[in-house]
This record gives sequence, C-alpha cells and structure tokens, in this order.
Amino acid sequence: MPLPAVADRPQRWDQPFSDKMTDGDVARILKISPFSDIDESKFTSAVALDGILRNDARILNCQAGDIIIREGDWGNSAFFILSGAVHVEIEPPATSLPDAILGRRQNKPKTLFHAFAQLFNNHREPEFRDMSSRQLAGQVGTRGAGESMRIYLQDVGAVIDRFKTVRLEAPKFFGEIAALGRIPRQATVFAEGDVDLVEIRWQGLRDIMRKDDGIRNHIDHQFRSNALETFIRDVPMFQNATQDQIEKLLRETKLETYGNYDSAKPFKDLAKEGIDSGLVDEPIVAEEGHHPNGVILIRSGLARLSQKYHHGHRTVSYLTPGGQIYGFEEIAESARTGKMVPLQLSLRAIGYLTVCVVPTPLIEEHVLGIKPGQRLTTSGPASSDQTPTQKDNSESRDVDNNLLEFLVEQRYVQGTATMLIDMDRCTRCDDCVRACSTAHDSNPRFIRHGPMYGHYMVANACMHCADPVCLIECPTGAIHRERLGGQVVINDQTCIGCTQCANNCPYDAIRMVPIRDQIGNLIRDKKTQFPLIQATKCDLCIDQLGGPACARACPHDALVRIDMRDRTTIGDLLKK
Amino acid sequence: MTSIKRRRWRNIRIFLLLCILVLAVHFVLNVSMYPSAWLSGWVLLALILGLASYNARKKLTFIPLARSSTWLQIHIYAGLLTLPLFLVHIEYRPPNGVFEVSLALLYLSVFLSGVFGLILTRVIPQRLTTRGSEVIFERIPVYINKLRTEVESYVLESVSETDTTAVPRFYLNRLQAFFERPRHFWLHLVHSNRPRQALLTDIKALGRYLNKAEQERMLLIEDRVRTKDDLDYQYSMQVVLKLWLFVHVPLTYSLLIFAAFHVLLVHAFAGAIR
Repeated sequence: MPLPAVADRPQRWDQPFSDKMTDGDVARILKISPFSDIDESKFTSAVALDGILRNDARILNCQAGDIIIREGDWGNSAFFILSGAVHVEIEPPATSLPDAILGRRQNKPKTLFHAFAQLFNNHREPEFRDMSSRQLAGQVGTRGAGESMRIYLQDVGAVIDRFKTVRLEAPKFFGEIAALGRIPRQATVFAEGDVDLVEIRWQGLRDIMRKDDGIRNHIDHQFRSNALETFIRDVPMFQNATQDQIEKLLRETKLETYGNYDSAKPFKDLAKEGIDSGLVDEPIVAEEGHHPNGVILIRSGLARLSQKYHHGHRTVSYLTPGGQIYGFEEIAESARTGKMVPLQLSLRAIGYLTVCVVPTPLIEEHVLGIKPGQRLTTSGPASSDQTPTQKDNSESRDVDNNLLEFLVEQRYVQGTATMLIDMDRCTRCDDCVRACSTAHDSNPRFIRHGPMYGHYMVANACMHCADPVCLIECPTGAIHRERLGGQVVINDQTCIGCTQCANNCPYDAIRMVPIRDQIGNLIRDKKTQFPLIQATKCDLCIDQLGGPACARACPHDALVRIDMRDRTTIGDLLKK
Repeated sequence: MTSIKRRRWRNIRIFLLLCILVLAVHFVLNVSMYPSAWLSGWVLLALILGLASYNARKKLTFIPLARSSTWLQIHIYAGLLTLPLFLVHIEYRPPNGVFEVSLALLYLSVFLSGVFGLILTRVIPQRLTTRGSEVIFERIPVYINKLRTEVESYVLESVSETDTTAVPRFYLNRLQAFFERPRHFWLHLVHSNRPRQALLTDIKALGRYLNKAEQERMLLIEDRVRTKDDLDYQYSMQVVLKLWLFVHVPLTYSLLIFAAFHVLLVHAFAGAIR
C-alpha cells in the first residue's frame, strides 16, 4: 500500500519577490527614513520587518528614461525612492505622453480603403509579425531581460521639456494607492537619471502599515488627499455636498479591503470550484439582519448581494465599482420609521474587494438632511426614488436567478465585453470566427466554444474584465488597457512572450502563439534558437471600423458582446 | 413583447404593405393598358441582385455596411417579396418555352431553397441545444476517434480480464462499424431513435451472458454508445445547416446568369413584340 504523500506546508515567503535581495540591501533600506523610524519590536518574529523587506521587496536600479509605471496599468506593488529622482507626469489626459513613446499599441482606426484592402493584404501564414517595423518603432526601447526587462523613453530631456511633470526625489513613496486599492495607476512615472528604488509587494506594505503608525498615516493621508476626494465627488448622492461636507466625509470615511489579493490564481481556483463551493469562502462585508453601520461604496473589485434562502444563500445581484451603493435604503427606512431596519441582503467579496464605508450619521446628516434622533418626513429624498441598489436588484430580477448564479460563480460578471451566444439562434455558421480572422490578419482571436448555461454559451473570448488580472505581472506593460475605450490590448512591439498574462487569465482567453515571418518560417530567438512566442487575444477590433467584427457578422443576432455591469442590458437580452 | 418579436411584426407589416403595393401597381398598370411585365421584370431583377449581394456583404465584414443581421432581415423579406412580383411578372400563368420554363423553375428552386433554409436555421439550433453537448463541427471526427479508442480499450481489457470473447464479438458485430464514422444520418434528420434503441437493447440482451467484470465494461461501452449517438445527431444536423447554402448560393448564381440572358432576349426581340 503506498504511503500517503506528505509535504511541508507552503509558507508565505517560499517564493520571495526577488531572490537577489541581500542582507546588505535590507540594511541599506533600514537606514533611510521612514524605514529607520519604524519600531522593529512591534513586529512578530514570524513576520519581522527585515523578513518583509527581504522577501516582499526588491531593489530596482533604473536608468534615465526607464518607465517605472504607466498611467492606466495595473500593479500590485508600491515604490520607494532610495536614491535619485523620478518624474511623475501630471498633464491632463488629452495632452499626456503619447502612446507610442510609452510602448502602448497605437490604435488608429483603419480608413475605408485600408479596411477594404484587408481582403487582399491579409497574410496567408498564421501569426505573421513584421520584424522590420518592430525595429523601426524607434520611439520606445527595451532593456534588460526576463523579469527585469523594462521599456524606456529614448529622449528623457525632451520629454521633461515638452510635458508637464513633477519631480520626486529620495526618500519618497509612490504607487501605493493603486497597489493597495487594486485600481489602475493614476500617472506615468519615469526615471530622471540613475535611480535606486525599493519595490514592495502590497502584502509587505500592508504588514508594515499595520505595525507602524508613521507609514500608515502617510499612506492614509495620501489616499484621503488624492484618491478619496475624487472618488467621493463621483458618487451621485454626494454631488451636491458643500466643501465642508466633503471634508468631513473625507475625514470619517473608512477604506476597507476584503478577500484575497494574490494574483489571479486563487480567483482562477474559485471560478473552477463553481457553484458547489457555496459562499463559505467569500468574506462577508455586511451581513443580512445586522444593523447598517454606514453606506458601502464599491471602490474596486466585485461584490455579491445574497439573501438567505432555506439552508443556503441565493444570489440576488452583484455590485461593481461605479456609483453602486449598499445599505442606503435601510438607513433611510430607519430614519423614516424611527425603528432600526436591519440589512435586507448580505454583501460578500468575490475575489479582492475594496470598499469605502460612509458612517450612518454622515448619511443621515448630509444625504437625508436630518440630525441624529430626528425622523425623516415622507417627502424626504429617500422616499422619492429608488436607490441605486434597489434599482439594481429590480433589474436583476429580470435575469433568471440560476443564470445569475452561474454568471457570478464563474466570475463572468467581470466582463465589460463578454461574448454571449444564444445557441438557440446560432446556426454554427462560423461567420463570427471568419470575420474575426479577417479583422486580425487571418488569425481568429477567439474560439466559438465555452461553458454553457441553458442555451447561452459564454464563448472563449477575452471579456475585457473590469478588474483585468492579466495586466498585473506583465514586465513590459505590453498588455494594457486603452485609455479611451478601456479595451485590454496587447502591443506586439513590446510583448516578450513571458506568458504571465496567459497564466493569470482565469478564463484562458489569452493564447501564446509562435510568430512567423513573411514566408511562414518560425521566428527564432537569436541566442537560444527557440521559436519566439507572443500573447494574443481579442482586442474588440479596436482598429476596425464599426466595432467588434464578430457581433456585426452574426446574421441571427445570436452573438452579443455584453457589459455585465449593466444588468438592464442583460435582462433585455434574455427577454429577446 | 420581446425585441425580436417586435421586429418580426414590424417587418411582416412592411412586407404585407409592399405586397399590396405590388398588386395595386400591377392592377393600375393593367387597367391603363401599360405592359406591366417591363416594370415588374426590372424590379424583380434588381431585387434578385440585391439579394445576391448579401453573400458579398458576408465577405466584407470589416466594412461598416450595417450589421449582418439587418442584411439578413432585408434578405428574408425582400426574398419573400419576389414571389408576388414573380407571379405578377408571369401574369399568374405558367411560362411557355424551354428557356422560360427553366428560368421559372430556377427561380422557384432558389426561392424554395431559401424558405427551406430559413426554416432549418430556425428549427435546428434549438434541437442542437437539447441533445448532446455543444461541439464544434470540425472536431466531431476527433471526438469519434477518441470514443472509439476508449471503447476498444474496454474491449481489450475485458478480454484480458475474463478470457472470453463475448464482448469482443459483440464489438466486432455491432459496434465497430458504429464507431467508425458518423452514422444514421437520415434517421437523425427525422429525429428517429431507432438505431440507438436497437443498440442499447442488444447491449442489454448481451448482459445476461456476461460476468460482473464484463458487465462493468459494457456499462462503460453503453455510455460511449449514447455519447456517440449524440455526436452523430449533432453531425447530421450541423451538416444540413451547412449544406443548404451550397444549394441556395449556386442556384442563385445560375438564376442570375439565366435572368441576364432573359433580359437580353427580351430586349433583342422587343421590337418584334411591339
């Protein structure tokens, strides 16, 4: 009888951020403020400060022009300048650094002539790449190799002269808000000259923040002064608030995070576990039947609204960032009746979730317009209209409950352009695949196959997720989100074929393909002679006239690209 | 009412209005002694050319020429409208002469193949979602091959475990041909379950002569038989969905050639008629 397999339990730092960190590097960091001001005795021996720095941090040596972070990209680490200076671009988007010099794909819509010419100009060989145009791209360069490969600006001086930037000198943090909040980077940062940086994984930064008031206060201040105000002002219920009220909101609003942040892998596992997993693994943000402590605003991530149903929980709806709120109607009803109205639904984090909690007294005072202890009159704001959450719930009722469970369990609700095919209408003609192929130089970028619920198929095509985990570990930023349309696209010029994005995608929507030259020969690496591979995926026909070719080519209205955040559209679609 | 039903009712109303218009114009022209065949003929030809251009639109997917579904709706109702136009054009009488009869038959073939195709595209997809799992047509042979390999391995295991030939004999006599390629094409088209039931009955009947190990193997084989039958069903239905266009499109091109020749003849002999 074979012996049961045994193994050491995996530990947090089995895989350090970098295996090149030395004791000398850690000592160097600990000599510089604010790290030198941290009281090391507050840390436990299991998660000691030097352990965090050794395992969750790495030293980056950047040269002039190296792009450290780009506006709009995703990242899970913050940076601290050890020596040298960096520039943060602060121009408004319309006049910001052009895509070409940031290594982003340039997506000019084709002219009618160029669109038509595809009929004759498409290559016969699959995955053709023009290596000459790669060398001529010119404005952006790459240096380094593997993990440390990065893109750089070729003429830093000209960029600094031409574009408005702010200079940050050592010692200074940057990039921490996006890392902790899992939101896109707010600005592009590049090295002025030789710069030494400490890059800290968000987990390490989180642990330091827990133990050290100085760093926590610094980051909290940064968050409240930079990110929270913009976020609060975008919430419809606070749009009429005065400056005094906004300042009070900024002081008292709490930022909370739930769930597992670590890359896409736990997310991938969760998606694979499916409906059988129940909701036990999802952290509860607020529970049905409890008193509402405040209104919850989704800042990033995805949350499930569920309700007790016999011995389980039934998914009623889901919340995504963008004005959706939770708990307001209960607070308003409490104010109206004078009795405590408990929360009617539970809110759970799916994957990683960041929320802002605006305390109940602030809502009563600034939104409902009453003082503590007062009751709301029937003509008050809460009685006049449905709140966003109520509206969302009523819209979700149009969607078959089991289908909603399927979409949430499999995380398809992440998609902003999910390919949904009604197989009761689809004649399997593959016009969609042919159209996709024609629009991408004879290379189809999706497979008309995928999981089905009833007669609906979620095809194997990039959904352009609201929270695109594929972006997180790309070393060159080749995979990025378009600034205007938000599409997730790959720049062939800077994709180094590391497969990080394909491995991270929970839906296997990114495929690695060997690339070929004009006559169909595999293009090989000069050094290793191995074929070069690159990541490919649906780009929503960003450079084509008229939008996604697949949806336009479907003769039977069976295929749609649907934004899952919009429950009304899903309801309408299912009622078709 | 759903958006697709709304669209259907709107299009039917427009179609009926156009039918009435065609008949009314024909009536007015007849009353005024104007030769309506000229007008109806040219309109009919223009419509047929427009209908045929849908095939070109399908190839020009990258040009924003309205959605393919919009084109298909126009294609369907314009196609249906050709029937009253055709009847008006031939003055409700069967044509005479070999060429005219051939042309009329060709038109009717295109029309009927179109209507047949429309019915197929509305009926078959719903059938495909209710039987077997969704499968890409081109991969069906791969799945069949996989099933055959699995069944053959069960048969071989059965021989090595029990040293009897009941299962291999049954495989050679009843299952080998079944697993070779897609089977029962026509029966699947008419939704017949007879071959499947016959095989399953034979498998059940064989059970009484098998020991426990062989029965276990046969249960696995039975499961593969059901899967293969579902694959055959998918194959038959998808073949029909793909093949009807290979009838409709070439017939359309033939019709265009005949129609062009018809126009030539009509104009060549127009003086004689006058």
